[in-house]
Amino acid sequence: MATDYWASSHFKRWIVDRAALNQARLEDLQCVDDPDYLDYLSIYFAQLITKLGKKLHCRQRTIATAIVFFRRFYLKNSYCETDPFIVVAACCYLAAKAEESPIHIKLIVTESRSLFNQEIYSSRGFSADNAKIAEMEFYLVDDLECDLVVFHPYRTLLTLCRQESTGETPSEEGEALEFGVGIGSDDGPRYWGTGRRPTRVGAFCLENCMVVMPPLPPHLIAIAAIYLTFIIHPPTPSDNESAGETPSEHSPPTTRQPRRSSRQVASAQAASQKKPPQDTVGFLSELNVSLPVVATIVQEIISLYTLWDRYKEDGTPESSRARDLAANSPGTNSNRASASAAATPGMEDSVTVDADGNYITPAFLSSVLQKMREARIMDLAPTRPAIAINKRLERTQAAG
Amino acid sequence: MLDEWSAGILQHDPMQLYRAKRDQNHRSVASKYNILGFISSGTYGRVYKAQSLEDDTVHAIKKFKPDKEGDVVTYTGISQSAIREIALNREIDHENIVSLKEVILEDKSIYMVFEYAEHDFLQIIHHHSQTLRATISAAVLKSLVYQLINGLIYLHSCHILHRDLKPANILITSEGVVKIGDLGLARLIYEPLQPLFAGDKVVVTIWYRAPELLLGAKHYTKAIDCWAVGCVMAELLSLRPIFKGEEAKLDSKKNVPFQKDQLLRIFEVLGTPDEKDWPSLMDMPEYQNMKRLDHFQNRLYDWTHARTGNMAAFDLLQKLFIYDPETRLTAKDALRHKWFQEDPKPTWNAFHTAVSHQIPPHRRITQDEAPSMVPIPQNTSHQGAHGMIGAPFGQTQSKPGSSASFTSLSGGNPYGSGGGSSRKKARLH
Repeated sequence: MATDYWASSHFKRWIVDRAALNQARLEDLQCVDDPDYLDYLSIYFAQLITKLGKKLHCRQRTIATAIVFFRRFYLKNSYCETDPFIVVAACCYLAAKAEESPIHIKLIVTESRSLFNQEIYSSRGFSADNAKIAEMEFYLVDDLECDLVVFHPYRTLLTLCRQESTGETPSEEGEALEFGVGIGSDDGPRYWGTGRRPTRVGAFCLENCMVVMPPLPPHLIAIAAIYLTFIIHPPTPSDNESAGETPSEHSPPTTRQPRRSSRQVASAQAASQKKPPQDTVGFLSELNVSLPVVATIVQEIISLYTLWDRYKEDGTPESSRARDLAANSPGTNSNRASASAAATPGMEDSVTVDADGNYITPAFLSSVLQKMREARIMDLAPTRPAIAINKRLERTQAAG
Repeated sequence: MLDEWSAGILQHDPMQLYRAKRDQNHRSVASKYNILGFISSGTYGRVYKAQSLEDDTVHAIKKFKPDKEGDVVTYTGISQSAIREIALNREIDHENIVSLKEVILEDKSIYMVFEYAEHDFLQIIHHHSQTLRATISAAVLKSLVYQLINGLIYLHSCHILHRDLKPANILITSEGVVKIGDLGLARLIYEPLQPLFAGDKVVVTIWYRAPELLLGAKHYTKAIDCWAVGCVMAELLSLRPIFKGEEAKLDSKKNVPFQKDQLLRIFEVLGTPDEKDWPSLMDMPEYQNMKRLDHFQNRLYDWTHARTGNMAAFDLLQKLFIYDPETRLTAKDALRHKWFQEDPKPTWNAFHTAVSHQIPPHRRITQDEAPSMVPIPQNTSHQGAHGMIGAPFGQTQSKPGSSASFTSLSGGNPYGSGGGSSRKKARLH
């Protein structure tokens, strides 16, 4: 968390691109009917980790770390060859230790069992015990290559938003808080609880974008979240003029300059405090980061929302949250322009939900997963090792 | 349709496919390293000297104690200390910090492979006090302290507190490069989710523990490491611990007792702390207990003068021993101290000026008295059976012959009785 990001294991080994991400799903693709299901599995398990984390009273950062561990694990492994529920429990267990707020393994086991055996997951009886979770942790650490220090976008978000809100009038405080309520999952104290909208919405975006996106630089995710917030909730009418232009037109994208830490970026920003506080374009162009990469991340987030629209948990469509965002998207032309300028194909149809109400539910995904795993194990049947056959032989002999 | 075998796997051992694949690809400790002998042990586990079978380089392998329930080794979860040491070591990289080469997770045990360091500060101190019966030369001493502080600056710049600096944890390579080791108690202090005291009730070995910790401070800073540096520097000067107190043990409810004796040892040299110099002193939980102790005058000058005539050295010590953690010298400022500008200047090879007899003998390695780290053959076949698509496990080096190398290499050692643990015990009395 605290060491230099550019020297970190996170930066050096765990920023991967779409291609690597697709590569990681090859085996799963052979076992699944619709490739989209794999993305839904990502949403499903990120949500599950969040739920388990909340039951365990984990802080948001611990939950985020657990999600990152889970995603890194599945960069190297297939859903169809593992039991993701055990992986989820082990990720939470390990993340709590990595974030210096350990949780007893017994508690993890108890809470996992009660959560995973709920009907909506209809998982076939989760019965892992201490030893199983601890064993999984052991293998997990190995698969994570012992890289347990994770950087999250929260820090950048907080730094930038704090900066942005200093010296500005809190005119939209009430509205911001209202929106905060709509976030729903936002309970308990948060670092970014300044009541300012960018932070709120940003935080909301972040929690979502942890889910499906390829492992991208955390500070750029934070900036993308802020950018998206500016588009969906234009700060003040007076800013619309400048917001009409796309950031990339306004400030030619700087060539990749990843050698600057977010802190340096922040201090560069601090140097220009004279600017009007909510000058969106100015704000973004002042950041010495690659805006094309930020744009890519924004696209990832938006396509995630499209996907999310069909996902439903606990009776209420999960997508309502995403729709909230989209619905709040203003009708003013200038902002629409800036939204489409950011190349957001998903934006327009993000509100459309399947007319028949065919939602993807956790129970459905559980059955998809079960089928994938069955398919995989059948595939392997011919190469079944001698030892297992022997065991079966023994059993038959014992029976007969 | 699923047959019984497949259904059984999914139901009873859902990670079997995964485990088999992982075990098949696993490269064992024994296939990569030849264990030369046992170095030392502690509460965490045991340390071995080993040689890479790939490039012949020598390493220290720290094997964490596997957890046991009765006689059966089971998975019970990795300790917080191991997680810390692994996590932090993967992030850091500095000349004056022991570097981690790799971590091998095998057969329920964790093996951390570190670069090997032939000596440590404790060895140097012992060699001078017992064998040479002479003080450490100024040039060597200054180089050791300089490099120690240099490593500490790096840790602190990464927002890492070491929390267990002491002579036994500070290593030196045969090239005279200081390497801070053992990050088992170290932790990141940037934006902690929990207060520092919530995790570990007691930090730092008692003789090196800063006064704010002894007075029960719930929050502490990098300054605790700087205090420890002062203690280590003083110990290099005098060849014995400067504040050698008796530790009051935790009571049955694990409450931390008032460390009266250790505080007295400190006050005897530095005088009783004054509220004027240390404003937050009165807020310390043990303040009232402290007030009941006898009153002492500062006599650090006399203490230092008896051991070195160097005024700059005295000044540095004095500043590292400032009671108020807020004003205590930081590692960065310590490195800029005038003592390091004076002749003899510190050198990157701390032994640059030393003649051969001043360098302690090589680390003694012994035959492991506990069951050998190298898996015995039966164990190996069991391993293979464990993995489903089982490739044989550690095949190359797991023959009895390798354990014979233990005795052949444990050469004569003029001092001490064995590994680090026995030396440590010997020092306590």
